[in-house]
Amino acid sequence: MSSKHQKPMTRKQFMRELRRYQKGSVTRRHFLGVTGLGMATAVLGAAMPGLAPRKSWAAGDIGDRVVLATWPNYHDAANFEQFTETTGAHVQVNVFGSNEEMLAKLQAGGSGWDVFVPTNYTITTYVGEGLIEPLELAKIPNYDAGSFEPRFSDAGTVDGTVYAVPKNWGTTGYAVNTEHTGGKALTTWKEFWDITREEFSGRTMVHDYQLTTIGNALKYFGYSFNSVDPQELADAEKLLLEVKPHLYAISSDYQPSMRNGDAWMTMCWTGDGKQLNADIPSIIYVLGTEGGEIWSDYYAVPKDAPHRDAGYALINFLLEPEVNAREVLAHGYPVADSRTNALLPKELLEDPILYPAQELLSALEFGAAATLTDPNRAELLARFKSA
Amino acid sequence: MTSPWVKRLLLFPATAWMIVMLALPLLVVVVFSFGERGPAGGYVPAFTFDQYLNLPARLAAFRNTLVLAPVGTLLCLLAAYPLAYFLAVKVDPRWRTLLLVLIIVPFWTSILIRTYAWIFILGGQGIPRLLEFVGIEGVRLINTRFAVLTGIVYGYLPLMIFPIYVSLEKLDKRLLEAAADLGSSPAWAFRNITLPLSIPGIATGCMLVFILLMGEFLIPALLGGGKVFFVGNALVDLFLQSRNWAYGSAVAATLVIVMLVTVGLYMKLMRRAGAQRDDVSLF
Amino acid sequence: MRIYAVAVYLFLYIPIGIIVLFSFNAGRHASDFRGFSVQWYGKVLSNPFAMEALTTSLLVAAFTAVFASVFGTMAALALQSVRGRARAIYDAAIYVAIMVPGIVIGIATLIALVTLFGHLNDALALLWPGPPDTAPRLNLGYGSLIAAHTLFTMALVIVIVRARIAGMDRSLIEASADLYATPFGTFRQVTLPQIFPAVLAGFLLSFTFSFDDFIIAFFVAGSETTLPVYVFSSIRRGVTPEINAIGTMVLGVSLTLLVIAQYLLRQRRDTDTGAPS
Repeated sequence: MSSKHQKPMTRKQFMRELRRYQKGSVTRRHFLGVTGLGMATAVLGAAMPGLAPRKSWAAGDIGDRVVLATWPNYHDAANFEQFTETTGAHVQVNVFGSNEEMLAKLQAGGSGWDVFVPTNYTITTYVGEGLIEPLELAKIPNYDAGSFEPRFSDAGTVDGTVYAVPKNWGTTGYAVNTEHTGGKALTTWKEFWDITREEFSGRTMVHDYQLTTIGNALKYFGYSFNSVDPQELADAEKLLLEVKPHLYAISSDYQPSMRNGDAWMTMCWTGDGKQLNADIPSIIYVLGTEGGEIWSDYYAVPKDAPHRDAGYALINFLLEPEVNAREVLAHGYPVADSRTNALLPKELLEDPILYPAQELLSALEFGAAATLTDPNRAELLARFKSA
Repeated sequence: MTSPWVKRLLLFPATAWMIVMLALPLLVVVVFSFGERGPAGGYVPAFTFDQYLNLPARLAAFRNTLVLAPVGTLLCLLAAYPLAYFLAVKVDPRWRTLLLVLIIVPFWTSILIRTYAWIFILGGQGIPRLLEFVGIEGVRLINTRFAVLTGIVYGYLPLMIFPIYVSLEKLDKRLLEAAADLGSSPAWAFRNITLPLSIPGIATGCMLVFILLMGEFLIPALLGGGKVFFVGNALVDLFLQSRNWAYGSAVAATLVIVMLVTVGLYMKLMRRAGAQRDDVSLF
Repeated sequence: MRIYAVAVYLFLYIPIGIIVLFSFNAGRHASDFRGFSVQWYGKVLSNPFAMEALTTSLLVAAFTAVFASVFGTMAALALQSVRGRARAIYDAAIYVAIMVPGIVIGIATLIALVTLFGHLNDALALLWPGPPDTAPRLNLGYGSLIAAHTLFTMALVIVIVRARIAGMDRSLIEASADLYATPFGTFRQVTLPQIFPAVLAGFLLSFTFSFDDFIIAFFVAGSETTLPVYVFSSIRRGVTPEINAIGTMVLGVSLTLLVIAQYLLRQRRDTDTGAPS
């Protein structure tokens, strides 16, 4: 409990808080917290563990709201309700379609966010631009670095300072409807691009996203997903321009077209692949044997977050293993936290889409910061789209 | 209303808005367009013409927009005029308000939701499926220019209908009756009475639709499957994806200049056509 | 003519019919009908994010429409008697306000306001009598959003109302003045009734534009989320029928209000004239 609330409050302040509570404009938790009655409950709770606020995130006045910028369908709404109940802070969620959009909003300023969810390759950029603050790990006791797989958590640490703590991870492969391949499963990016120019002409979708679309075109030639080499990019561009007339669409919203049968194959993220496969078993999720992208999302706190304490409380809350397990059950993306995994059902942990075989995983690359910000790749995508 | 004091008072809010919400942001665009992109995107102050020199890289986007925006405007006009005429002249006045508002009601659901409905209608399960029943196979509508134009007409129809309706509604119907009594054909009356009176509405409608089309990005992105690339799409990508704000500003400034020139030419044309009485400023 | 009108209304409403149909989809995905269900309505109503976004959008659209139609009409009236260079400047500003694409005005407004607020907040903190960290701070939110939407829609209203004024019968105003009516009396009894349809059209267009705008709101709304921003960010990773349910509810409510308004208007008109009009 923060020292601020151990200070006695005046009678007038108490009455004002009581009236607010009676009017319903503050929650019981807030009322107990600010009036110090929470202290009494806490002392009682120490004697009777069942009454105790469950974790330190429940303590202290953190304000009445917290703003979270995240991805669509990436949380369990019930968890937010529980957070509001226990802390009095209402969670306001802004959802985004790409890391670049998040970065653009933070670069422009005035976002009003307290917590946001950047992907691994953006974190050094945020640090370099001075847009996020080093995390005060003391405020996130539920973050236990030791229980996280390092490859999914180390991008949060820049020059020895922790700026972000891991949320979930996943892969970028492609989904293909095997009804149209005669039941044959595809296995490589080479097949993806070749079949698009033949039997699948007019049926393939690629992301409207330079990182993955160019990255996976580079894989056709066996180059690195992250290449910014002009010659290699020129090869990728040639391939993309050749393929463009054969594409069904350039769009990151591919589920509807895959479901209604207009598109037969698309670049695809883990969660979408899982959802498509669950509903339509003939759609399989493929990780190209040449490699491709593996990614990890994090929680971070922007500089000048207006409700900073609430932001930390929210991160801490969401990292509590039971809460995190409920999150996973809701959105279906894997976590790298062994404490959370211990609470998850076995079928989920053995799912080949969510947890691909080790030899497939080891061929994958994490996106690099330079890949995200490279101006040549951005111009390449613009040429591809306007061709 | 002629008192200068009243006039100033009446103009004050509009003036304040123009300064804070228009002049200031435009100044930002102009300043940025002479700057440079930061290494991680965004804007770095500089004074260079590089951004403008690099404009040919978005030539295709300008070309697409300058072709599809006028075509879309024309289609909108053709679709809107008969309906505006019907509402202003033919329809029972009791139903007029209701019918007018019914035009705008669909637009109270988000454009995104409506465009998604079009994705379904034009997609494989929609019209092409119906065509298969009558034996026409293999029609592809979605993600084509046709789909984009359909979406444009759908999205901008009210903007065309309303101004034309407003100008036709003022039409004194006794003029038409008199013309008929004097034995002129309906076609003659339309050409010589109705059409000239509705020119200000047509001019306003076309202008509004054309201008908004020049900055459109959602419809080409969703119904064109990302393959039909407008300047609007280029701008969204430049500001949100590659975050090349300096170049984006130069493209934006150029777009506004292109629009000003086009609109200026259009005004001149309209004026020469004698459509403007001297008390009518363009719109 | 009538058939054509019916065709246009069909064109306008078929997509709406599809939206409504799919809002009753039992499946998770909007484009894949799997039986009838009202579950998505329950989901939307219990989804605080969607409801908050809806409230925000309604509020912003209402304020925008009021500001735009009042200020726009005021300016249109005053501009009648403005001539010369001042007139040219206003005309140019109106054109440009309409012409600048939403994405450009969105990001430029954001940057301009962030800079402006930064300076103003420093000044406020200096002038503030209490401790500096308790000083009021200007932030992006409802205010900036309404202001940004009002710029474009006000210009629209000016244009629409001006077209109406241009075709207005000026002899009535002169007659009114000759009969010693006060300028305000003339305005209320002669000008306003004549321009009212245009003002109403402007109001409706402004409301619609603001309610439907995604790109400006995306930038200048600060941490607020409007309905289009919510919808846009949700649908990019799969459209669920929840989105259709939102659309259907908004539509249902507006249609109901409309029918009530039409009914009330007709009643009033009937009692005013003593006969069905």
